Amino acid sequence: MNFFEYLHSRRHLLLAQTLEHANIVVMSVALATVIGVLIGIATYRSPRARGMAMATAAAILTIPSFALLGLLITPFGLGYVPAMVALTLYALLPIIRNTVVGLSEVDPALTEAARGIGMGRLRSLTTVEIPLAWPVILAGIRVSTQMTMGIAAIAAYVGGPGLGNQIFSGLANLGGVNSLNMALVGTLGVIALAVVLDLILGLLGVLTRAGHRPRFAWRGRDRRLTAAGALAGAPPATATSPTTGGQR
Amino acid sequence: MTDDVMIDLQQVSKIYRGQRVPAVENVSMTIRRGEIVVLVGPSGCGKTTTMKMINRLIEPSSGRILLDGSDVATLDANALRRRIGYVIQQVGLFPHMTVATNVGLVPKMLGWDRRRIDERVDELLHLVGLDPGQFRNRLPRQLSGGQQQRVGVARALAADPPVMLMDEPFGATDPLTRDRLQNEFLRLQEKLRKTIVFVTHDFDEAIKMGTRIAVLGERSRIRQFDTPERLLANPADSTVARFIGAGASLKQLNLRRVAAIDWTEVPLVRVDESPTQVLRRLDEAKQSAVLTVDGEGRPLRWVTARALEPSQVTLDGVGDPVTVVDPQATLRDALDAMLAASSGSAVVVDDRGRYRGVLTIDDLMRAIHEMRTSQRESDRPVAEATHQRSAASNGAVVSDGRGRR
Repeated sequence: MNFFEYLHSRRHLLLAQTLEHANIVVMSVALATVIGVLIGIATYRSPRARGMAMATAAAILTIPSFALLGLLITPFGLGYVPAMVALTLYALLPIIRNTVVGLSEVDPALTEAARGIGMGRLRSLTTVEIPLAWPVILAGIRVSTQMTMGIAAIAAYVGGPGLGNQIFSGLANLGGVNSLNMALVGTLGVIALAVVLDLILGLLGVLTRAGHRPRFAWRGRDRRLTAAGALAGAPPATATSPTTGGQR
Repeated sequence: MTDDVMIDLQQVSKIYRGQRVPAVENVSMTIRRGEIVVLVGPSGCGKTTTMKMINRLIEPSSGRILLDGSDVATLDANALRRRIGYVIQQVGLFPHMTVATNVGLVPKMLGWDRRRIDERVDELLHLVGLDPGQFRNRLPRQLSGGQQQRVGVARALAADPPVMLMDEPFGATDPLTRDRLQNEFLRLQEKLRKTIVFVTHDFDEAIKMGTRIAVLGERSRIRQFDTPERLLANPADSTVARFIGAGASLKQLNLRRVAAIDWTEVPLVRVDESPTQVLRRLDEAKQSAVLTVDGEGRPLRWVTARALEPSQVTLDGVGDPVTVVDPQATLRDALDAMLAASSGSAVVVDDRGRYRGVLTIDDLMRAIHEMRTSQRESDRPVAEATHQRSAASNGAVVSDGRGRR
């Protein structure tokens, strides 16, 4: 059986494993984003707290993935959970670091302006600081996604889901009929998935780029036009000229 | 008296943690409703700190600040700041929000409904001279520096706060733009009558903007707190005098506005009229030049009899270019403009650029002469009485300017 025959004959299994792989990566990066951004927000103002958070995250990253997965078997057993926990831990560092960098790069004049016009801490964070830091945070999320993509393959070792199972079965049956095909399909699958997810995140970056939302701006304007039209008892928005200012 | 006081600083001090010398020491100051009080002093003297204690961006270490009779320390800080307009040098527009969103932020926090916010935003953009249709959906980076600061002012005015704090608001713009922004703002203030605390290190700006000026020394100690006229005529001590700098008498030209003095009328000719009309008008008025204006009444060129050739059929492009000034410009600006153009006169135009009169060097000289005469009279002691009088004459200046419109 050559590579393509193998691909064809196992397509249902492979598709399922690819989706599982994507699923566990997306879930753990999403969880790491929530935790990492919160840690970043909590620590970016204090150099000491910031240092501690980054050092801890960096230390976790240096633990070999096999060792960490092995260690996690004791508390969490085998399967999905230890894999998810390990991936989330690995994904933290780039996200924390980029959150901290992104937030501290926000122009102090802007945070002062936010305070000066009466925004509280939380409002300033959610409406000013995080949106401005978002491109940097998103860059961290992309790095984390790429990183966990590879590590997720190893998670098959503790019974985790995904394309890692192909690789491990291939390595276990070295010399067997389909061993090379298995290892190959697992590896190539991970690479392809990584490229696809990165493209999606890149697209997300474009769509959420600050001040680059023709769609939202258009919707806001449209609503306004409709309101103005209704107020004047005029025909619907399409009939209103672009110079709404003068029409009020 | 108490009814008249908007902001009252009572022995306010600020000592930053870990520092022995206070940044602000024992400042007491009363700011009346509707006046522009300028805090001016060398950099690092604590003027910004003093201002920021009013909206509690900085909490005083001791002393009290009353805003419209209530102690600001007892109010919720965020609610307080929404009632106080705040303009800073860096403008601080949020780059990821459109002009309209930026301006509508405070009303939104105050829970206004969408339509009311939209209407208010358009109204404010009109007020600061930006066409809403053109600007409301733009991002700050698509605006020039001057336009950005106009939006900054609009944002500060959004919820119609009675008080505004302005920290070197025009400091980051080029001199020409700054001058325009200052004039526009003064015109705005004539309508709005806000109570304004204005921080600057530029004494000329202080003279131009201030109803009263507080010259601050180290630790924000008040060296002198008085009207610009009194300050220039009688500096309290040598430090103040040094700060005012050389040419105090020249600076007095900053105290009067073009609107407040008498102008000259000149004959006008529409640019689409015939050249013979020019000669007739010159003859009637016994003047050496007429001003050509366009259909809207905007001045175009000075035309003398000599500039007209016998074969001339149209006035388009004939004559010498004109220099224009705003009625809100100071006499010093006007003098500057005349000297730069070496024309000896400037055409006064309204905010749409339409002719309102002509200011000549002779008009200026007459005004300077009057100022010097009245200065000598008001130099007598009895501080309070003079105070009242100069305040009254200030009022007269304003109403005079209005009467001419």
